[in-house]
Amino acid sequence: MNQTKSGHRHPLSQMIAEINSIFAERGFGFAEGPEAETEVYNFDRLNVAKDHPARDMQDTFWLSPKQAKVPMVLRTHTSPVQARYMESHEPPMRIIVPGKVFRNEATDATHEAQFHQLEGLVVDKGIHLGHLKGTIEYFFSKFFAGDVEVRFRPSFFPFVEPGVEVDMMLRGSESKLANRWIEIMGAGMIHPNVLRGSKIDPTIYSGFAFGMGIDRLAIMKYGIDDVRHLYSGDLRFVSQF
Amino acid sequence: MLVSYNWIKEYLGSDAPEPKEIERLLTFHAFEVEAVEERNGDTIFDLKILPDRGSDCLSQRGIAREIATLTGVPLVYDPLATPVILSDTASIIVDITDATACPRFTASIVRGVKVGESPVWLQERLASLGQRSINNVVDATNYVMYATGQPLHAYDAGKFPQVGGQYGFTVRKAVAGETVSLLAEGGKSEDRIVTLKGGELLIVNTATGTAAGLAGVKGGRFAIVDETTTDLIIEAAHFQATLTRRTARGLGIVIDASKRFENEPSRTLPPLAQQAMVDLITQIAGGTCDGMIDVYLEEKVPPQVEVPVAEVNALLGITISEAAMVAILKRVGVAVAVAEPGILSCTGPMERTDLTIAADFIEEIGRIYGYEHVVSVVPEEAAARPALNQRHIISEAIRDTLTKHGFSEVITTSFQKKDEVALLSSLASDKSYLRSTLIPNLADALAKNAPYTDLLGTADTRIFEIGTVFTLGGELGVTEQVALALGVRLKTTGYSGKEDVVLEMALLALATILGTPTWNKVKGIAECNLTSILKNLPQATAYALVPASLATTYVPFSHYPSVSRDIALWIEAGTEIGVVAAALNAAAVPLLTRLTHTDTFTSAVGRTSVAFRLVFQSHEKTLDGGEVDAQMQSIYATVTGSGWEVR
Repeated sequence: MNQTKSGHRHPLSQMIAEINSIFAERGFGFAEGPEAETEVYNFDRLNVAKDHPARDMQDTFWLSPKQAKVPMVLRTHTSPVQARYMESHEPPMRIIVPGKVFRNEATDATHEAQFHQLEGLVVDKGIHLGHLKGTIEYFFSKFFAGDVEVRFRPSFFPFVEPGVEVDMMLRGSESKLANRWIEIMGAGMIHPNVLRGSKIDPTIYSGFAFGMGIDRLAIMKYGIDDVRHLYSGDLRFVSQF
Repeated sequence: MLVSYNWIKEYLGSDAPEPKEIERLLTFHAFEVEAVEERNGDTIFDLKILPDRGSDCLSQRGIAREIATLTGVPLVYDPLATPVILSDTASIIVDITDATACPRFTASIVRGVKVGESPVWLQERLASLGQRSINNVVDATNYVMYATGQPLHAYDAGKFPQVGGQYGFTVRKAVAGETVSLLAEGGKSEDRIVTLKGGELLIVNTATGTAAGLAGVKGGRFAIVDETTTDLIIEAAHFQATLTRRTARGLGIVIDASKRFENEPSRTLPPLAQQAMVDLITQIAGGTCDGMIDVYLEEKVPPQVEVPVAEVNALLGITISEAAMVAILKRVGVAVAVAEPGILSCTGPMERTDLTIAADFIEEIGRIYGYEHVVSVVPEEAAARPALNQRHIISEAIRDTLTKHGFSEVITTSFQKKDEVALLSSLASDKSYLRSTLIPNLADALAKNAPYTDLLGTADTRIFEIGTVFTLGGELGVTEQVALALGVRLKTTGYSGKEDVVLEMALLALATILGTPTWNKVKGIAECNLTSILKNLPQATAYALVPASLATTYVPFSHYPSVSRDIALWIEAGTEIGVVAAALNAAAVPLLTRLTHTDTFTSAVGRTSVAFRLVFQSHEKTLDGGEVDAQMQSIYATVTGSGWEVR
């Protein structure tokens, strides 16, 4: 038998490498942060107040207070890295943050307690919603190797204002994804409270942020039928990539 | 939240947009429409009201007002614009001990009502939102809450003990250990006696000191309205959003009233809701109102915010005139004045407690004008190259090396049933801890994958993972590292010892990237701490070129076991192996899942022998020996028919 047959990369790490190379070409750094995050960075610094209904938007795993010296959670999104990056760097800044995130909810074919998110952040003078739209269209056009159009619908995330839901449409391709609107991510202009909290003056600088599920991109790109395969360690799955 | 088209048409008038148009308007200018359903001559919308609009849009009137804003056509009837003409009453006294927790409390008296069934129209209105009719008084409180967003509560005045001829309410914080009896929750028959932690807000009957209920969260059986009731006390108050939420969530109670209080509705609502309630109750249950008491301790009005005109276009990436901005804001009900050239002084309408900073008003302009006007600006190439991510570069190099050595990458669960770092209130028992090492997950994956070698056409099972592990210690008490682990399994029966040869070769190959880190080796699996190794490696200077991903489409795999058979045959010298393989494959469609060429040799007399391993598998069931034999017979027939010979 063939002893030196090549192994397979996991589709998620393959995608993260592709995503990074698309964004690196446009000057985006690849930033990271801890998966076990403090309540302060996961919520407070992102304008998600304690005892506020906005906390219900994400079911949270809390670490044991007997072990963690400050209130800690498994990060529910990659957004805390926004706050960590902004407070340790000066504008202009452009980063992406791919990483694992966690939600304390029941799992099924479309929900996992752990999944991967891609965060994007740009802060500079004169950044507006048009830059957000252009950046997302640029990324998807490269990623799906086609002509992608993006549209915004009003939405709410505590760390942005205005906040939008983003739909994408792949045009003129033969792909099953083509020629229909697909809800793909949340985004918006960074909330002035979040900028101020990171010592960035919102009267001088503005910025946008977006966040999407990489697992969902994998499902779309490869037609995966059950998101749990991604974390099953099953080579009957991984060997297809 | 459910919204009835027939209900909001009372506010929008006969010119209300058709349901399809409402769906479009809300979707692109306000909220996500999760479902639209035709039901009993009505259209029911299910809207996703997010926390920013929970203050004004958790009501039928709020949604109607939003639609009116989007169309620019004012409401024909607005329950919140109806003047409050209730007289004052001296027969109720209210004592509030904490004005922050309860900034406003109103109570009115209606005497001479007849409790009974609600009129059909009211039953239908409630049914359209999935609510069941109880009696005309309770239904009226619910109706007014769904209409206006202000929760109300009705007491039987006859069962409400008085002090000096007055009905007395005390609103105070609970002391630790105090108990309160709450009405049974939906589906349960018994009342719930709750022992309080202290600090929760109670509504207390002043005469007896009995707690009537938990403010904003749930009432009790105290002075409950029943068919004998003739006189009502109606309460409509404002309770602090965060306190209500803490209490409700602490007890696991989430009801329509607490949900509304949590979202901080306007403090102007209570008397308006009282007027709507009194008008309705006297219409459907008779009686007359003796007046209302309104204790308003802490007023809160929408702030006046300066919105620079230039900032609106600069943030939205659109170009609209100041006049157009003003026109949009006026449709929202914002009081707009030009503070100085280029600056709009804006005050939101009373029910929009969410409009507090310039960005809030800018969002209103953007969404109502329409985000379709935002023009894409493609990001320019950056002047400076971004800082390189060393962890990513090294991880990519590891993936490259290990896949070349036949290792496949897995990503496994970060959770464990038992380990060091504990999680609170996890929904699943296998997620009670975080992993401190990748080794157990890799051992599981090796055992699980070992039977698949024939199916996957590999000689053995080789896997690796790069992932975060968590341990106790460090500044925060919990610390995390990125670990790398790789493992080999040769046999389905478990670790044989011979795996170490393959493993050591892989570790040797990794040494060119990682140097010689400390490897923790356990039964054919080796793990190292990548975070600490990274600190000692020279900084990489560029990202590796990423190979284009495969244009592959995932094919669901069978969950049934596979069966392997070997075949060897004599063929004529010069026959291509591919031709033989294709013939065998065609003979056993669709159960022959994989065919692997395993051996070729030429005998002393010049005959050529080729051997294959055949793997059979069904998507529908576990194959039995007979079914595989039948497949083999078909293959043998093909072999003979092709002039070859089975050895």
